[in-house]
Amino acid sequence: MKIDFKINGEPTSIDVDPAMPLLWVVRDELKLTATKFGCGMAMCGACTLHIDGEAVRSCSVPIETIAGKDITTLEGLSESEANLHPIQQAWMEEQVPQCGYCQSGFMMAAAKLLKENPNPSDDDIKNGITNICRCGTHPRIIKAIKRAAEISYQKL
Amino acid sequence: MSTEKKSFSRRKFLQRGAIVLGGTVVASYLGCSPLRRFTAQKVESMDFPAMMSSLQPDFWFEVLPDNTISLKSPKIEIGQGVFTGLAMLAAEELDVSYEQIKVEHSNTKGGLYDEMNTGGSSSTASLYEPIREVAATMREMLKEAAAKKWGVKASEIKTQNGTLISGNNKITYAEIAKENKKWEIPKTPELRPKSAFKVVGKSVKRTDLKAKVMGTAKYTLDSELPDMLYAVLLQSPYLDGTIKTIDTKEAEKSAGVVKVVHEGELVAVVAKTFYAADSAFKKIEVEWNTPNKVQQADLIKLVTVGNGKEVNIQKEGNAKSIIEDNKSSIFRQEYRTPMAAHAQMEVNAAIAHVQADKALIIAGTQGPKIVIDTVSKALKLDKDKIEVQTPLVGGGFGRKAVKGLYVEAALISKAVGKPVKLYNSRQQEFQNSLYRPNTHHVLQAKIAQNGEIEAITHDQATPDMLKNLMGTDLPNKILGADFISAGHGASLMYNFKNKSVSVWNAEVPIPIGIWRGVGMFPNAFAIESFMNELAQQTKKDPIAFRIGLLQDDDKISVRSKKVLETLIEKSGWKTPKTEGIGRGIAIGNDRKTIAAAAIELAIVEGKVVVKKVTQVMDVGVSINPEGIKQQIEGATMMGIGAALYEEATVKDGQVEQAYFSQYPMVSLADVPEIQCFILEGDDIPYGVGEPPLAPIAPAITGAILDLTGKAVRSLPIKLS
Repeated sequence: MKIDFKINGEPTSIDVDPAMPLLWVVRDELKLTATKFGCGMAMCGACTLHIDGEAVRSCSVPIETIAGKDITTLEGLSESEANLHPIQQAWMEEQVPQCGYCQSGFMMAAAKLLKENPNPSDDDIKNGITNICRCGTHPRIIKAIKRAAEISYQKL
Repeated sequence: MSTEKKSFSRRKFLQRGAIVLGGTVVASYLGCSPLRRFTAQKVESMDFPAMMSSLQPDFWFEVLPDNTISLKSPKIEIGQGVFTGLAMLAAEELDVSYEQIKVEHSNTKGGLYDEMNTGGSSSTASLYEPIREVAATMREMLKEAAAKKWGVKASEIKTQNGTLISGNNKITYAEIAKENKKWEIPKTPELRPKSAFKVVGKSVKRTDLKAKVMGTAKYTLDSELPDMLYAVLLQSPYLDGTIKTIDTKEAEKSAGVVKVVHEGELVAVVAKTFYAADSAFKKIEVEWNTPNKVQQADLIKLVTVGNGKEVNIQKEGNAKSIIEDNKSSIFRQEYRTPMAAHAQMEVNAAIAHVQADKALIIAGTQGPKIVIDTVSKALKLDKDKIEVQTPLVGGGFGRKAVKGLYVEAALISKAVGKPVKLYNSRQQEFQNSLYRPNTHHVLQAKIAQNGEIEAITHDQATPDMLKNLMGTDLPNKILGADFISAGHGASLMYNFKNKSVSVWNAEVPIPIGIWRGVGMFPNAFAIESFMNELAQQTKKDPIAFRIGLLQDDDKISVRSKKVLETLIEKSGWKTPKTEGIGRGIAIGNDRKTIAAAAIELAIVEGKVVVKKVTQVMDVGVSINPEGIKQQIEGATMMGIGAALYEEATVKDGQVEQAYFSQYPMVSLADVPEIQCFILEGDDIPYGVGEPPLAPIAPAITGAILDLTGKAVRSLPIKLS
């Protein structure tokens, strides 16, 4: 089945099994590998990306449901390396990643959280993101999201 | 422990630290003798040495045309920041910024790799001198070449930002490397003293930070080979399960399937995409023979002090007889830690390309040597025909040490004659894995009238962790019990006059692996929880009680005392407590890194809520304080999870937890206030990745004891 959608602003067309999860289309067909496979059951959040601005766990989204939609992966979050999204800038400043594997999903979830709530409290962050990290970068994730809120505010 | 020395001292150490200058490999066998001396010292003190491979050609450094320097790391980056630490050490002698040093994994064809696994928190520490010695030698070689060119003395040349300078003469490392054809190998120069360090000891950003933030960091799952196929491997969800009946007909007919490989117990669907392979895989009908019927109660029974072989590993005075003679008045407690999963975010994965006379394996592993050994055996192919490339590793915690999917990927690739990428589903990762074993501890103390501890014993029952790591149960047969890995930390660091410690070897029908902290996790939990109870029994402050038992003038006691004194000050231990808050502490000596934690917690609606964690860690020498802080924070979070939530259980020969939903771990909601303080109490660096984990669980139980007066003696903590 042929499906048309936008990925990181680029119009894309793909002909695959309609039930194929978006995660595998993004990773194996479009070769955008920042989005990770963690569990395949929407439990860990490693595959989080944006569909029409909503943070979604792409391992559990059949490709047929995204026809005509706008997908953003971590590769498309920032305008450019020189003009980083506040979340990525804050992630650099706070030096969040360790093994790094879950970070793409966290950053995408955090970008969405920040869009909805430009000045989140610790509790807003703690309750708003349920992704899993095994290295224990959680304390820095909270700091980075708050820092990103400051950066966004300064940019306004 | 003298017995530990013996088991490692026979290992042969071979080191060839060559350098590539101007495109040619020079200085082979460079640094041989200092490295040997270094390793001899290391073995003497039973730190894990780095043991380099002897495969050719081996090199560490290469000056690249853009005047950056490539450093091939023999240690694996599993998220612990080893690349950054090594770049900093090299920069110290090379007079370049650490960012100018591009660190990547050596592969087994292109450079040295470490015959020891990357683990035991030993990586940066084990290369502290070798990296600097090779770097310093390269700097001197570049100076010699420039001296010849300019007709000056090498000693008159300064090095700065990757440039050689003498008067008005200036040339970059890359230019002289390109020009010069004949290289003199100088004597290994004197290393710069710590007081002259410009980079080491300062907080710097990780060298892999940007790639990991931009999403360009490549892990095994992100790697590809031309013409590559995808495989999904059938694995029994039962321990020791074998195929009883199988029907793969529907799978074979499924769209995109190239082949269903079926060779004995090896069954794999190979297809053009992962999705096609996985869809076909779901159509396989299989019934399992389940010879292993282990139940949770069996595990508890098998792992119990008194069962199996006893090996005494620490004896001072006559603790055992004092305890025996005073049975009725002994303070005796039992502790248990549960089985646990690694649950690292990146599942095990491997890409294999097997051809008639060679094989390439791409695998995120903590142990390239084990990959070579096991793949060589499975393919009946010489070891030197097998190349291993290691992308970044998405978390290890011990799980990537052994039993990756490289052997299966190699066999599947051989069967289909093409490169194959293979990875676990999360369910396979949970149920077809290696586990931190459950342990049992009995601690007994004779408390004298005056409150002093007259005698103390610790008995730990634990399954063997070395067996899977070494690929043989020979260590166990020789050693009697695994007191090296599983029993690590079982000894008592305090100077009790009469003390005795034994490790009891438990045989369990479970595949056992190494888990972050190795034996430190269960042993620190038991010993330090008992210490908190002893302090309570004798009405002493738990920190003062410990300090009183660390009055000897050996280095460990002195450093431990300092760590505890710092903890009192930094944690506000003596300040008045807020209502409803409990305070607890614990300390551990993990291969000479001394880590102690003070924890404040509350109990909210029957649930433990950790509010504040203060960690003080004496690391010997601190290389990258920011990196150490990351490790302390990470280990603190993992420790909280291990104390409060994590537990793997078995039922009818099956690990019951198959998904993240069945294996709760820490989340953002659990983040407390964390403060980290680093001390430098020695002249060499010690490991930092694991030591801060062990004190967390017993500091939590100590705080619960403080708050409620009740002792918790098994994990995960359940408040009844």
